[in-house]
Amino acid sequence: MGRTVLIVDDSNTMRKIVSRSLRQAGLDFDTILEAGDGQEALDVLGGNKVDIILSDINMPNMNGLEFLKAKSENAAIKDIPVIMISTETGADIIDEAKSYGAKGAIKKPFTPEMINETLGALL
Amino acid sequence: MEHAQYIIDSTQEIFSSMIMLEVTPGQPYERAHEPLRNSISGIIGLAGSTKGLLAIHLPNSAALAVTTAFLGMEVEEIDDDVRDAIGELANMVAGNLKSALDPSGSDIKLSMPSAVHGEEYSIDCLANSQTVTVPFSFNGDNFLVELQFRQD
Repeated sequence: MGRTVLIVDDSNTMRKIVSRSLRQAGLDFDTILEAGDGQEALDVLGGNKVDIILSDINMPNMNGLEFLKAKSENAAIKDIPVIMISTETGADIIDEAKSYGAKGAIKKPFTPEMINETLGALL
Repeated sequence: MEHAQYIIDSTQEIFSSMIMLEVTPGQPYERAHEPLRNSISGIIGLAGSTKGLLAIHLPNSAALAVTTAFLGMEVEEIDDDVRDAIGELANMVAGNLKSALDPSGSDIKLSMPSAVHGEEYSIDCLANSQTVTVPFSFNGDNFLVELQFRQD
């Protein structure tokens, strides 16, 4: 069965860039799912098997940290690895993300090489 | 002009790594520029120990060229894709600036990106704020990155 990635970002542009960067990094996913905020991401996770999640932090409605917290409280999805991709990579914010189970963080702007380096270890 | 150097470094990094465009900075200046004409601006608000806004102002032609390069597809009019891309550019520049000014990430809060587009407009946020404006050029186009701020 092929691998599935979920990209969570309120920017349609950034979702396209992340998707393109995954291909450029040589990380072939059979399915790329998208969500515009944390709540949409939870909805997507409720109906799809996802192998890894790439999530922004600064989003409307439900931000990335709130999404991580909600996900960590749901036994069905809590073990899906999450990498944060954000302009918000201050030590306090990343520590909070990791306390909710985030496996790493990539700072915007990023390159396909940075994506490969961070995701390669988890796949 | 410490802030100007942060703006130059982060803008050049973002354009070279994610948009594949090399941009050349001009001489930074402090006063706010004349009203913007036939342009689009991506804006991020700053709150906390540094208050104000970070904006990137692009003439329409520059915005179309940047968005085309950013998305890897031809863009011919100012539409939702352009507004989203320019807002995201402002978000990344502001994020880098925040990292430089606030390594812990706790002292400065960033707003969601927004975009303004029009035939003639100005953007001002705070009384008694300092302003740093850096002009950039690329491939015959130009744009401005502007920081209006007050540190409490």
